Amino acid sequence: MVVDAPTPSEAGDFETQDLLINVGPQHPSTHGVFRMVLEIDGEVVKDLVPYIGYLHRGAEKLCENFDFRQGIGYMDRTEYLAAHNAELSYVMAVEALAEIEVPERAQWIRMILCELNRISSHFMFLGAFGVDVGVFGTPFIYAWREREAVIDLFEEISGDRMMYAYFRPGGLAWEVPVNFEERVREVLASSRQGVKDFDGLLTENEIFIARTKNVGVISAEDAIEIGMSGPSLRASGVPLDLRKTEPYMYYDQLEFEPITAEGGDVFDRYLVRLKEISQSIDLIEQCLERLEAGPIMAEKMPRMLRLPEGEAYMRTEAPRGEYGIYMVSKGGNKPHRVKVRSACLSNLQALKQMSVGQYVADAIIILGSIDIVLSEVDR
Amino acid sequence: MTTDDGGNDAVEEAPEPPDTFEDTIWPDVNRTLTAVDVRPERSVLDLIVHIPKADVVRGLGMLKNDEALQFNYLRSLTAVDNEADGVDVVYHLYSVPNKFNLTVKTTLPNDDKVLDTATPVWQAANWLERETAEMFGVTFTGHPDPRPLLMPEDVDMSDTHPLLKSHPYAEIDILQGELLGHDRDADEGD
Amino acid sequence: MSTEIFGIEDVNVWVDGLIRVLLIVGFMTVVVMGLIYGERKILARFQQRLGPTRTGPIGLLQSVADALKLVGKEDLRPRNADPWTFELAPYLVFIPVFLGFVIVPFVLDWQIRILELGLLYFVAVSGVNIVGWIMAGWGSDNRYAMIGGMRAAAQGISYELPLVLSLLAVAMVVEVPAPVIDGAASVASDSEYVRGSLNLNEIVAAQHEVPNLVWQPLVMIVFIIAALAELNRTPFDIPVGESEVVGGPFVEYSGIRWSMFFLAEYAALLIMALVFAAVFLGGWAWPFGIWMDDAPPRWAQALAVAAKAGAFIFLVFWIRASVPRLRIDQLMSFSWKVLLPLMLVQVLVNGLVLVYDWPLIILTVVGLAGVVALAAIVDRAVRHPRPRPAVAAQLQGEAAS
Repeated sequence: MVVDAPTPSEAGDFETQDLLINVGPQHPSTHGVFRMVLEIDGEVVKDLVPYIGYLHRGAEKLCENFDFRQGIGYMDRTEYLAAHNAELSYVMAVEALAEIEVPERAQWIRMILCELNRISSHFMFLGAFGVDVGVFGTPFIYAWREREAVIDLFEEISGDRMMYAYFRPGGLAWEVPVNFEERVREVLASSRQGVKDFDGLLTENEIFIARTKNVGVISAEDAIEIGMSGPSLRASGVPLDLRKTEPYMYYDQLEFEPITAEGGDVFDRYLVRLKEISQSIDLIEQCLERLEAGPIMAEKMPRMLRLPEGEAYMRTEAPRGEYGIYMVSKGGNKPHRVKVRSACLSNLQALKQMSVGQYVADAIIILGSIDIVLSEVDR
Repeated sequence: MTTDDGGNDAVEEAPEPPDTFEDTIWPDVNRTLTAVDVRPERSVLDLIVHIPKADVVRGLGMLKNDEALQFNYLRSLTAVDNEADGVDVVYHLYSVPNKFNLTVKTTLPNDDKVLDTATPVWQAANWLERETAEMFGVTFTGHPDPRPLLMPEDVDMSDTHPLLKSHPYAEIDILQGELLGHDRDADEGD
Repeated sequence: MSTEIFGIEDVNVWVDGLIRVLLIVGFMTVVVMGLIYGERKILARFQQRLGPTRTGPIGLLQSVADALKLVGKEDLRPRNADPWTFELAPYLVFIPVFLGFVIVPFVLDWQIRILELGLLYFVAVSGVNIVGWIMAGWGSDNRYAMIGGMRAAAQGISYELPLVLSLLAVAMVVEVPAPVIDGAASVASDSEYVRGSLNLNEIVAAQHEVPNLVWQPLVMIVFIIAALAELNRTPFDIPVGESEVVGGPFVEYSGIRWSMFFLAEYAALLIMALVFAAVFLGGWAWPFGIWMDDAPPRWAQALAVAAKAGAFIFLVFWIRASVPRLRIDQLMSFSWKVLLPLMLVQVLVNGLVLVYDWPLIILTVVGLAGVVALAAIVDRAVRHPRPRPAVAAQLQGEAAS
């Protein structure tokens, strides 16, 4: 076993040198264009230096040059795996500044779509994570099947499979298809089966447990200190879920408890996400019960939004954690400043602390367990 | 310096209603920030507290360590370019045990964009400050790792601060191309 | 010198050798192509996909198309690679696998050579390709390749031991009828046997009534595990771990050299499956229950061998589709701390059976107990995961400060 090898002093004058290996930006397990340089001694990671910015497109700067509605499209592109959730923060920030009342039906539909997006995003995580721990493709295809069902539904609703731009300040772009509820229930049934499949495939697998338990542990205090959020934080035992702690839309009317775990290791981060899929399914069913006919757009919306002066930091619980929009308006039809608070960026800061002292193979699955989307990290 | 900042703020926020902020966490914040020159402001969602730049990190430390407040979570750290009025550095704080939100703002004049680092208070500030530094040209003194975060490391970007209002939109590609040593005419040839 | 092949007398020994080599190469290439196609189809089915369907009828020509593509690709060598090491490595991986085919008993009296020390030869030859792996890893001048090569060496050497011990455990107690195979028609009665043989044909023949898997359940399981590790197959595909070292030693290879590694991998799988069929499932002899006298037709024997080897290969694919990869330290400690002690105990028991001439049923009991012990050890290791090593905690403390 590599860790118990004699330290250089014991080994006499035999001089050893640590090996630097560069992982990414082109690497199958960096989930995009993330790059990290590992300093390894045998198989043990002694140091890790992350490099980001390969996907920096200046979304914040671009938003300053477009009016409030045009900015929605850029939010989709920052968080392409959960675009509805990203739009939601942006749209709600605009609504908060302009003091727009959003009709009830639009709110419920937004909640349903955001939770569906959480399901699809978490399935994406499960699939990619399965590949990271080394199952050849099977979890990936299982995940893809479930995600496909959700995305087909989104396509029927918004006309696009990834960049929906369906939420607008004041409500929704247009009414959902007539068979919306029925289709959502179909998707939920399929997702429920998908959760069972994953549970059977990975959760109880001895090798999976051996690989993930006690790996990449981070304590609750450290996780808060680093500013982690979302499932990665809840896996360390902090019940910080913005849907519960600062309810927005109608989450205060729904019955649910934030899902947490104790260990703060890779397995817990996996398990929290798996359970959150079931939770989202449950939440959507509660939303569907409360969904009633009505308008989907606030009345008297101007053709060109002009916002009063002011600023708002609007945060929502996206699948990867707190997705915040800090919007400053100085009057006029364009924002003065839009800052995207990226959950992934903050979560990624913990990578070094989790990975040092672990094996190379662990560093890979720890990175996978944080579930980063590089376009959200770099924006 | 401090008085200058205070003056700027006063000009910026001229119409000040007689507001006691009793319904917010302001009393607690005011009590905590003893010997710090603070000024509250309402925003749509959270309470904003203006702290002069010389005191900001000390004030943040007090807010974090106070028993009643415990702002132990740094949500976001960024800056806003107000052109002639300098650059505002904005901290969004959250208290996990108490579920309080607070926005802390400090104004830096354009000719002296230097601020102490908040990394001793929250590790979370590390990357956020690196990003703010490269995007706005703010120097965080005492930062443990002052490399650029998103901008390329191998090119000198010390004069390029994309999120400043003075930074152009259209010429970005030209600028980058020249910095990276590309011959723009040759690129257009193909 | 002359010899006999296909019933033709007086064939020059070199011509004979050439014919045999060509036969192996042709047979192996065709079967490997089939295996690749089969793996893709089987994995696809596990993953609710269709697999190849477009090239030829139901995609049957896909492997041929792939092979043509690989042959046509440019053979690249990194500038800083060590030319000799880099270019020779594929041969060192490839040739030992071919050599292994020499002893495989396909049907009763049809194999390349009957060697008295067949099993020993197989073990010796199959260990050589580790050198090729290290050469590929070192010669590529790529750090991923080097890590992969080192992992391959560590893993190959560690699992060689349980593999050899499992074959030894079988070989030492196998009941070979007294007149050996050259004695042709003289049928052995059950009372006249000797124990112990390294001749694969004799081992197969000895199982004409009961295959070894009944006598040696633990040994069989250990053999399967060690074989998976030797083949670098999931869950032991650590040297090539796609998500970590992106293909390990092969990362810099392309075109025909890469396809040689690929061919060797599947050929090794095939030969391991054939040896497994011969040693544990009774090869061509079981379940026909007879040998020598009125032997079943050769096609039936070949079919039995193919079915048994196919079952092993299917198991390998099945495992690949279902389980994650182990970590290198878990892999090593599993071999040295679990498999090796268990096998040593088993060999000891086998030795007692051999010396005191006890009935073989004792082995079944001991083997089943061993299987239970193995399951219990794995289960315990999983339920009570090891805390983080002290060195790791210390390193992390340094990084944090």
